Amino acid sequence: MTLTRRSLILGVAAALGFNPSGVLRSPGGRAHAAATASAQLAAEPAAAALSRSQLEDLVAFAEVLVGDGPLSPVEREYLVDHIERRTTQGGGYYLELYRTTAGLLDSLAGARFSSLDLAQRGALITRHRLFSSAVRPEENLGPFPKKAREVRTRAVPDLIGGYYASPAGWAVVGYGAFPGKCGDLARYTSPER
Amino acid sequence: MEAEVAIVGAGAAGGILALELARRGIRVVVLESGPRHDFARRPEYVRRYVRGESPWATPLPGLDRYTVGGPVPYQLGGRRARGVGGSTLHWEGHALRLHANDFRLKSLYGIADDWPISYQDLDGYYAEAERMLGVAGVADEPWAAPRSAPFPLPPFSFSYSDGLFTRACQPLGIALHHLPQARNSVAYAGRPQCRACGTCQVCPTGAKASVDLTHVPQAEATGYAQVVTEATVLRLELDRSGGVSAAVYAKPDKVQHRLNARVFVLAGGAVENARLLLLSASREFPGGLANRSGLVGKFFMSHPSIDLTGRARENVYPYRIGFSTAMSRQFAIERDRATHGAFLLEFLNSAGPTPERIAGASGQWGEALRTRVREEFGHWLGIRVYAEQLPDRINTISLNANVRDYFGSPAPHIHYIVGKYERKALDDAKEVAQKILMAMGLTDVRSTGLSFAAHQIGTHRMGTDPGTSVVDVALKAHDVPNLYLVGSGCFVTASASPPTLTIAALAVRAAEHIAARLRPASRGDSTAHPAA
Repeated sequence: MTLTRRSLILGVAAALGFNPSGVLRSPGGRAHAAATASAQLAAEPAAAALSRSQLEDLVAFAEVLVGDGPLSPVEREYLVDHIERRTTQGGGYYLELYRTTAGLLDSLAGARFSSLDLAQRGALITRHRLFSSAVRPEENLGPFPKKAREVRTRAVPDLIGGYYASPAGWAVVGYGAFPGKCGDLARYTSPER
Repeated sequence: MEAEVAIVGAGAAGGILALELARRGIRVVVLESGPRHDFARRPEYVRRYVRGESPWATPLPGLDRYTVGGPVPYQLGGRRARGVGGSTLHWEGHALRLHANDFRLKSLYGIADDWPISYQDLDGYYAEAERMLGVAGVADEPWAAPRSAPFPLPPFSFSYSDGLFTRACQPLGIALHHLPQARNSVAYAGRPQCRACGTCQVCPTGAKASVDLTHVPQAEATGYAQVVTEATVLRLELDRSGGVSAAVYAKPDKVQHRLNARVFVLAGGAVENARLLLLSASREFPGGLANRSGLVGKFFMSHPSIDLTGRARENVYPYRIGFSTAMSRQFAIERDRATHGAFLLEFLNSAGPTPERIAGASGQWGEALRTRVREEFGHWLGIRVYAEQLPDRINTISLNANVRDYFGSPAPHIHYIVGKYERKALDDAKEVAQKILMAMGLTDVRSTGLSFAAHQIGTHRMGTDPGTSVVDVALKAHDVPNLYLVGSGCFVTASASPPTLTIAALAVRAAEHIAARLRPASRGDSTAHPAA
């Protein structure tokens, strides 16, 4: 199955209950920039990568890990961007890790993980301690211990890191400009407004 | 291929030299081992840099191979860049002149050696280098040696955190001053004003000076300079008169080519210049070209460095600009350097963890994670110290025949120590920085381990005596009549200040000598000086 990045973003947004067209038509600087980038990339075929449903599961998982509520379409795009970059680089390691992650989430949920609402996802993650990358030696890791260990120690910190390294992470601390995004030269001379 | 002047390396020294010669109508060919980095790709490079990748990494596998020995492993990885622009591609842009005292350590303090030239000899060349690179600054440093020309650009304002440092330093009798920057505080020379992109190691706007922007295109535009990229010089060959006749180089396909010229200039970094001389050993020079003194590769230096950080109660707003704006050279000048090594204080505008690092270390998730990131971010202040390293013959660049690069040439081997003098200077620096941080009421004051600036210095030192130096005051090799060695390799001592502006000034000066030699009538004047 050949997917484009645009179709992935639209698909994830649709699966999570957003108007897909709104994702790429959001007003404002960052959203506009993201839309432009997406449009430019729309014609580029993605490398053999995750299926749409796997990607939706991963974003739904990350949404619970990194936030205190539903993420905006733009924030989701940052996550898609991170996952896509990981899975197209690194010699297949992350592709395998994220396939494992999506598979584990679906198995534990007994359904498509992304079909659960936010509260259900949070409860599942809490029940299986899928939020914590620290695994105690004697800890019961549930029915799929090897996969659970892999997800907790590798995928969880990577998804959290990917989000907080993105513009969304800088926005959490109130920064609209940050390393990699140019801004007003005078800004650094006084406290942040 | 033939040229009047063959230059090896298109970095700070080579790029400047190429323009200075080409604008005088001298035909120059520059052989650059790395690629030409298209400026249009800078946004992509920024994205890679932000992700922790090195966009300047050498594309050929094994070309940057090196080995280390000695008690302190000096790592070159990330501390040099190949390509048109060389290390100015990723430098911080701190453009300080050395102090007059830095040239006279032997005379003033009885340590190390004096340079065979003085600050006064270089003053005019410093001014020209500042004009070409576009240095922003103001003469507010109480210890600075006199200047014959003002800074060409106004200074960058002090940062919010500089104000906090200033208030703490004043009662301690420590003065902060502006850190001269080779970046545009206002639009200059066709390049835009800095936009605080925060990724100065990859400047996306071109506001930071790098010779791929400030010199090489201008040199090529004269019609007298040609840059051959991905052309790695393997050795220099001699003619019967004892002069260099050809630079033998290879492209990635490993096919060898020759470049003949009247004058040859090695303008790589201190490691690669020394290495190429050693690789060019011959019957006439069995220990390496231009190495009758036995000093090629000796007296390698850098700037040992540590960071001190502390936690502030209030937010200090880091990561809003990619460079430091305040420094103090008080302890680099005003002390008895016979017993107290010089050090420079740089007041950091970004310290402490980013949101990503806080999140990664927190062990939290969901709402608690978000709260943790919001509360923890922005509370760290830091001071970086750089110490002067004295020349020590034991610090050496040599060849490691057991490790070969992409072309099969022996890799450079770095033997390195940091002596008692430098360690004491770092201890002194740590004490001063701790005092400042404590005076600010910071908690959890801590220091990093020993690190090093991306400055490689020494290895073909300048001097008047062929027995104790490799090049003369014009940077011509004592032993080879048509070979010049430029760059920080010719420094006699390291100072505590970054070397690039001095590299630039010396390159301008060397170009004048070479031009006068090739065009005696012109005496190095300018016929078609392009805008800087």
